[in-house]
Amino acid sequence: MSQQTSLTYAKVNEDVIRMLDKPTVKWLALFVPTLGIVGFGLFCFLYQVYTGLGAAGYRHPVYWGVYITDFVFWVGIAHSGTLISAVLYLFRASFRLSIYRISEAMTVFAVLTAGLFPIIHLGRPWFFYWLFPYPNQRELWINFKSPLVWDVFAVSTYLTVSSVFFFVGMIPDIAAIRDRVTEKPRKIIYSILSLGWKGSNWEWLHYTRAYLFFAAFATPLVLSVHSVVSWDFAMANLPGWHTTIFAPYFVAGAIFSGLGMVITLTVPIRKIFSLEEYITLDNYDGLAKLVIVTSLIVGYAYGVEFFMAWYSSNPAEWGQFYYRATGEYALFYWIMIFCNVLIPIPLWFKSVRRNIKALFIISIFINIGMWFERFNIIVISLSRGFDPASWGIYKVSWVEMGITLGSFAWFFMFFLIFIKTLPAVSIAEMKEILPVPRKEANGHE
Amino acid sequence: MSQDKKGGIRRRDFLKIIGVAGGTAAVTGGCSEPVEQLIPYVIPPEGIIPGVPNWYASTCRECPAGCGILVKNREGRAIKIEGNPKHPVNKGASCAQGQAMLQGLYNPDRTRSPLLLNDLGKRRPTGWENAQTLLAEKIDEIRKKGQNGRIVFLSDNVTGTLGALIDDWMEAIGGVHISYETYAYEPLREANKRTFGIDKIPTYNIDKAKYLLSFGADFMETWLSPTYYTTQFSDMHSFRDGSMGKFVHVEPRASLTGVNADEWVSITPGTEGLLALGIANVIVSEGLSQRGGELSGLLGGYAIDKVSEATGVSTDTIRQIAREFSSMQPSLAIGGGTAMTSTNATETLIAINILNYVAGNIGVTIDFGRTLNTDGISPFRDILSLVDSMSDGGVDLLMVYNVNPVFTLPKSAGFEDAISRVPFVVSFSSFMDETTEKAHLIMPDNTTIESWGDFIPSAGIHGLIQPAMTPVFNTKSTGDVILAVTANIEDLKEKYKEASYYDYLRESWKTAYSSQAGLSFDSFWNKALENGGYYSDVQPVQVSLSGGLSGAALPEAEFSGDGDYFLIAYPSYKYYDGRGANKPWLQELPDALSTGVWDSWVEVHPDTASRLGVELGDYVVIESPQGSIETQVYPYPGIRPDTVAVMIGQGHTSYGRYAKDRGVNPVGILPLATDKLSGGFAWFTSKVKLTRTGKHAQFVQTQYTTHQHDRGIAQEVTLTEMQKGLPPVDHELPGFYPPKEYAKYRWGMAIDLQKCTGCGACITACYAENNIPFVGKELVAKRRDMAWIKIERYFEKSDNKAGFETRFLPMLCQHCGNAPCEPVCPVYATYHNPEGLNGMVYNRCVGTRYCSNNCSYSVRKFNWFQYKFPEPLDWQLNPDVTVRGVGVMEKCTFCVQRINYAKDQAKDKGRDVLDGEVQVACAQACGSDAIVFGNLKDPESKASRLSKNERGYKVLHTLNTQSSITYLKKVKWDKA
Repeated sequence: MSQQTSLTYAKVNEDVIRMLDKPTVKWLALFVPTLGIVGFGLFCFLYQVYTGLGAAGYRHPVYWGVYITDFVFWVGIAHSGTLISAVLYLFRASFRLSIYRISEAMTVFAVLTAGLFPIIHLGRPWFFYWLFPYPNQRELWINFKSPLVWDVFAVSTYLTVSSVFFFVGMIPDIAAIRDRVTEKPRKIIYSILSLGWKGSNWEWLHYTRAYLFFAAFATPLVLSVHSVVSWDFAMANLPGWHTTIFAPYFVAGAIFSGLGMVITLTVPIRKIFSLEEYITLDNYDGLAKLVIVTSLIVGYAYGVEFFMAWYSSNPAEWGQFYYRATGEYALFYWIMIFCNVLIPIPLWFKSVRRNIKALFIISIFINIGMWFERFNIIVISLSRGFDPASWGIYKVSWVEMGITLGSFAWFFMFFLIFIKTLPAVSIAEMKEILPVPRKEANGHE
Repeated sequence: MSQDKKGGIRRRDFLKIIGVAGGTAAVTGGCSEPVEQLIPYVIPPEGIIPGVPNWYASTCRECPAGCGILVKNREGRAIKIEGNPKHPVNKGASCAQGQAMLQGLYNPDRTRSPLLLNDLGKRRPTGWENAQTLLAEKIDEIRKKGQNGRIVFLSDNVTGTLGALIDDWMEAIGGVHISYETYAYEPLREANKRTFGIDKIPTYNIDKAKYLLSFGADFMETWLSPTYYTTQFSDMHSFRDGSMGKFVHVEPRASLTGVNADEWVSITPGTEGLLALGIANVIVSEGLSQRGGELSGLLGGYAIDKVSEATGVSTDTIRQIAREFSSMQPSLAIGGGTAMTSTNATETLIAINILNYVAGNIGVTIDFGRTLNTDGISPFRDILSLVDSMSDGGVDLLMVYNVNPVFTLPKSAGFEDAISRVPFVVSFSSFMDETTEKAHLIMPDNTTIESWGDFIPSAGIHGLIQPAMTPVFNTKSTGDVILAVTANIEDLKEKYKEASYYDYLRESWKTAYSSQAGLSFDSFWNKALENGGYYSDVQPVQVSLSGGLSGAALPEAEFSGDGDYFLIAYPSYKYYDGRGANKPWLQELPDALSTGVWDSWVEVHPDTASRLGVELGDYVVIESPQGSIETQVYPYPGIRPDTVAVMIGQGHTSYGRYAKDRGVNPVGILPLATDKLSGGFAWFTSKVKLTRTGKHAQFVQTQYTTHQHDRGIAQEVTLTEMQKGLPPVDHELPGFYPPKEYAKYRWGMAIDLQKCTGCGACITACYAENNIPFVGKELVAKRRDMAWIKIERYFEKSDNKAGFETRFLPMLCQHCGNAPCEPVCPVYATYHNPEGLNGMVYNRCVGTRYCSNNCSYSVRKFNWFQYKFPEPLDWQLNPDVTVRGVGVMEKCTFCVQRINYAKDQAKDKGRDVLDGEVQVACAQACGSDAIVFGNLKDPESKASRLSKNERGYKVLHTLNTQSSITYLKKVKWDKA
């Protein structure tokens, strides 16, 4: 954070809590259509339940498609939240300060969105709870060999931990809001949520230790959750899926896409709520450097996949990768390469990294590119398995598009509620880097 | 009560509410289907034990081959057709048409009662009494006019008792009985008459031949008796003791039979006779055979160069065929496929007869003892004169039985117009086909499964037809109708004493066969019922070449039309002449070559297609002077560039929901040409124009690839390699876990690719046995067909004359010992059972579909929707097999219900299941014995022994799935 800041403790309180004022027309203009799209997504899902999964565009042999793409995409988005708030916290990277709350919120909402898709994609979604190990008289148990069961645990653990971490980080801020709001119901709610926080030294002592502990606890999850998700594919023997590079490749991809989403979300918020002094160009510069790193890892993975397929001289493996780049889905493949490898290259220049417009555009491309990466991995691999007689092309149906659109709306709906109800920038941590306010009246200097 | 004052709820009320609410929830059951109760028989019918099937031997009437069938009846309903192992024609095998017979029986579009056309042009149901009286009155009326021949009974070739009854009846009422067979093989009979002086079609002993040369005889599809010849071919062509027979097929198009040949020789249309004589000439002139010297004068005119030029077959090929044909004795040349019937068909067949004679095959591989029962078939010219007579008002009453000439005759024959001029038309058809649409009175016949009857396909084979269930609808067997109508005619009241056709049939058998076998008639009858008929040996008949041949000439085939392309309209092995098109199983059975379903297409050579600027799925108009049809292009390397081909059977304008307005009927645009000598209809005489329309649609197939991309799925060895001996291969790769142990059984299969012909009988049998829903064209277009077994078809590049070879591979669940699908299921819905089966628990499946993604063989199918079986098609459902609901996976179970049944039976006998006691549906149906199922733990079982065959390999064995299906490599004839 720059030294020449005009921020004071009081201004921070004011600026952050100002965001929680009564909904404006602008906010409502965003929120109401968002709700409408969520409603449409829900309609699509109910239609699919009513008619059967055939309402989606699946066809033999592509039995996973847009829903699992969406699932991996949203789990990926969820990743940088924890990375920014926990890992960078442990590394004391100060550029995380202003954006970590937003990215944590993003994490929780993205996991909430991601968690829907494994249920949506089930043939019999009403039996989704059969994937949990619960005692029952039929003595039915789940198959711990199945990566899908690992998924259930990984995602639910991640949701729990990231929610707790998100909540714990907010306690002092909620207390600050509690002290400021006057309306009765809000006061009561914030009082409950602040867990009686008084801001005493004793509380701060324990709080900071606890926060450090949670950060340390959440850090391995950044690696583990997406590794487990990647094993959904890597554990299968399908050409294009069955590869050991998947775990690091997916983690890097997840962080890459998550950073993209953080930029996509913070740029408009910064603008709308005039948070330029909080979310500074230095912050974006740091994020952009991380984008470059992860883009390089992802790009390397794309290359290595090809190399390994060629080097293995396994006709199924090589056939798969040759097909990716040249077959019916080649457009999607090259969109992915363009968005994820080529588009981030300008970020090597400092001027681009500090250009908000350029960053915003690049981040949109990254989001698109990463969605297609998952689509390519899932759909193209399934389209061309071992047996040429079964090969077939997948076509997305309107139901799947509706539900995907609905999932974005669902995510933004939470986000819009969040910025109106909870502090989007950490008041307490912002204050840590500000000069301590002095009493000037008595002039003891 | 004190609680009352406080308000709220009392304990008792609470319990009541909970009880009612819970009960309601339990009854309505959330989203579940309503609960269906199983109601036991209060008074069990005699002879029915619930859960135990009854089998009835009968005869298939789907095509004129007359195979023996066994109909499985469960609790009063016929649910499955299987071949009758005791029947000499098919020896237990069956074809897709036979399997699909049940969908004729239970067809939802069957005519459900007699229908009478009223004055307003509407059909109204009427009673049988009424209908019979009406017909009797009509007959009476016409008879009173005193002219004979104004009543015509038009039927297919009904042999046996019903045929005799119709003849007799027609004689009595002064009518004419005309037998119309769509594929009548008149040139074959005429050629035999002229060559050997015997107006019959012999039995060919393909199984005895070492070398088979077919001139367009599609003996695996429709030719004479396809199941019979498929089983024979399998015998002749299977690899045994280091050798196997060779099969060369000569035709402008590689039909399903053609692609099964070791060599497909493409020939200029209409010149097969030339080639046959050219080959004969080489044999005689090179002295390769002792016979034929007397014909050297005739053959001398067919010098190899001249023949080669005219036929487009190279001199090397002609010489090679001649040498092999004469040296690989006994050999056999066959011809006379319907699609290849040109104007010179008889001369062509005479040439083939000469070739057989020269090579010494007459009496060896051609048996004139057991001849086909074709005597009753009316010549095609009788059909034409019937049309004339109908047009001129010479027919007052036309009765149509089991034929559909409006559809099967070319439009140019004018049958449709002619039948409209007949004042009263009666149809006995159980289906509203194109001819029945013209009828004034419909008296629906029982289907084969519901009626008594007999059928004599060839000499010495007297097949019995017995009902396997009571009629589904208010239909009546035509034999009974004839008896009842006759009883309504005043002066013929006493003509038939029998009360029912059953009695008539018995009486007729009593007269004909009671002297046979030295049994009392009752025991003879019961034995015949049990065996599916009465089969007697027939002495071989020796024939000799008639003298007049040396002067025989071979005219050129005449083609009409000014187009550039010869049009082949070929009979379908699925729909025959169109009669199969109303059965969804057959519609959904992928064509062996194109893998197309539910539609028509035109086969065009890829070069021709690129010249026309069309590709797969583009629409073209095929135009002949007689009309035009528009259909999609299927580029097929197995056809000459100057020839196009369309399958017969689709393009119905009526015939129920599954057939109507689907595809095109090429017969409609054929000219009315006949084979000059026999007068039979000539199918291959049209040259057509092809025009691009610019329209395109997805061509709905079940396989969109044509080659294997080096995956080694369908493998092959050459005969030389086999004779040298193959290096032993260890199928088991080392695994991380210890190998699985099986106690008594490990069920497995051996599939011989050398034997599989791609006919698809296994697929339809599987649909029938396992309650597999048909999904329709729209869903197959999305690859959502539910078939548990599919036939993969690959056109591989080859150094043979055609430049490609076709490999078929039946692909089904491999029941892997180390199954990729099992560990990935999160809920154990698929698991490995102690007998090596890869089990599937439908109830437990939540539908993640991970198993299918991880199945290396892609054999799992998903229930995308709740599929419907329109009443009464659901009567066919096998009660032993779950009907799957929406959202669950399914796949081949190795017919686990049959395994369990066999185990139960064995347990009752206190022993283990013996080899051969469990026959899975696909293996049972297979005519070529390509699929063998059994217990791999038993080293003596057939499947177990075949699995150890040196040709054995596992598909994708590098994945170490330890599949329980061993494929036996196809053996390729090389130059050895």
